[in-house]
Amino acid sequence: MLRDITLGQYYQADSVIHRLDPRVKLGTTILFIISLFVFDDFWGYVVAAIFLAFVVQLSKVPFRFMVKGMKSIVFLLSITVLFNLFLTPGEPIVNIWKLTITKEGLRLAVLLAVRLGFLIMGSSVMTLTTTPNQLTDGLEKMLKPLGKIKVPVHEIAMMMSIALRFIPILMEETDKIMKAQLARCADFESGNLIKKAKSLVPLLVPLFISAFRRANDLAMAMEARCYRGGEHRTKMKPLHYEKRDYIAYVIVVCYLVTAFAAARLIPGL
Amino acid sequence: MGIVKIRDLIYEYIRRDEEGNVEGITTAVDDVNLDIEQGSFIAVLGHNGSGKSTLAKHLNAILYPTEGTVWVDGKDTQKEEYVWDIRQTAGMVFQNPDNQIIGQIVEEDVGFGPENMGVPTQEIWERVEESLKAVGMYQFRKHSPNKLSGGQKQRVSIAGVIAMHPKCIILDEPTAMLDPRGRKEVIRAVRALNDVERITVILITHYMEEVIYADRVYVMDKGKITLQGTPKEVFSEVDRLKELRLDVPQVTLLAYELRKNGLPIPKGILTSKELIEALDQCINELN
Repeated sequence: MLRDITLGQYYQADSVIHRLDPRVKLGTTILFIISLFVFDDFWGYVVAAIFLAFVVQLSKVPFRFMVKGMKSIVFLLSITVLFNLFLTPGEPIVNIWKLTITKEGLRLAVLLAVRLGFLIMGSSVMTLTTTPNQLTDGLEKMLKPLGKIKVPVHEIAMMMSIALRFIPILMEETDKIMKAQLARCADFESGNLIKKAKSLVPLLVPLFISAFRRANDLAMAMEARCYRGGEHRTKMKPLHYEKRDYIAYVIVVCYLVTAFAAARLIPGL
Repeated sequence: MGIVKIRDLIYEYIRRDEEGNVEGITTAVDDVNLDIEQGSFIAVLGHNGSGKSTLAKHLNAILYPTEGTVWVDGKDTQKEEYVWDIRQTAGMVFQNPDNQIIGQIVEEDVGFGPENMGVPTQEIWERVEESLKAVGMYQFRKHSPNKLSGGQKQRVSIAGVIAMHPKCIILDEPTAMLDPRGRKEVIRAVRALNDVERITVILITHYMEEVIYADRVYVMDKGKITLQGTPKEVFSEVDRLKELRLDVPQVTLLAYELRKNGLPIPKGILTSKELIEALDQCINELN
């Protein structure tokens, strides 16, 4: 179950999207997410869907792989959808016992599902095609001006990249500890919510201990390899904008313009 | 002067209780003297808690002596201005490969050390390429470390250290978490570095099989060096090693038992080839 979370995992492939400057991908992702929240119209989403499909196609990441990542949010998604479906006041369509589905509710629920789905997919395209190191390099460079007001930009970027690197490792560890506890008759499934939460304690304690030990080891290994913060540091993969990055920006702007035009000009549903 | 010189090294761990009061002092390294020549292959043996890892951490200026002095390449590790020089001269590989790989891609991880040293971009790439080739991991340069086997991960860690162009590599139980195949891979890579690049290797381990190629072996017990010499000399002392709760390689043990039972076999047999030769000689003499 834990292995299915693809967020924060890198998918190795050789594609245009993989080679793009991380700043382009970061900026695009942010713009894409904002665009999803700005329009609440059918045609806007059609354009967003086309754009997303185009990017996924270019990225050479199998669609299957992305859908797998979505599984983890199905629960959250369904709760949101159900709440919206039943609790939005408006013109009723169906009556089931005490619950009423309204036209507005249906519309809002579908909208929200699409919105969240696209959001997760859009951001996983970024994380799947960008190594955490590139991502944090991108962030570091984008946020560099903040360094002038004493924001420790390099340190924040390094912390993020390490956190991302250890997600899969800690996941695996959780899996291992869980199995070890299950083998000794621990019960994570039954009981009410409080009992379930309590049963997580024997899982979390060893996980925390191991995480601290790993942090300690890693800090030592980094120091042993001469890490001393961002000063005097050179980059193995310095960021330069190239032709393809400018083209990407143009495409993104085209997407935004088309989407807004579609949302405004074509009558919605 | 050799690459590493240790004089009267004592290191004490201070144990504290929950309030931070001193509960007791454990002497992890107790009066150790050591001289290591540039280009040699040194092995330090000892069971858990013998102080061998503590000793190793002194060579990389991660720990500082409580008493005594450690010089790496002629530089005192306690002088703050030398810390980065020393860490560059004496690279360190740790036990758990997962906890020392920083990059999400093999080549990025190998580049981490040179990046920290401020090496220009072009040269970082050259160094990464040459060090990955040196450990035979070049074809994996674009892979995620999570997908590699233990032996491969550990070879990546070694490449990450070589990319800093050290004169000396300290390997602190690099094979303790690996399967036999991974152990072989790592030891082969380490030996190649010593043979081809003439990098000084200090291998800390408790696997006897790994030390038979060393130029010199030191056996530690309770913080002290209790035995030292060439592998042949050390493994002649089977009784002493057993006393120290160390496993002697099977071949050596067999030769020892045969000798004890009256066969004229020389002391300190390390490989099966040597044993076969010795036995051949026995047969010839008997005939």
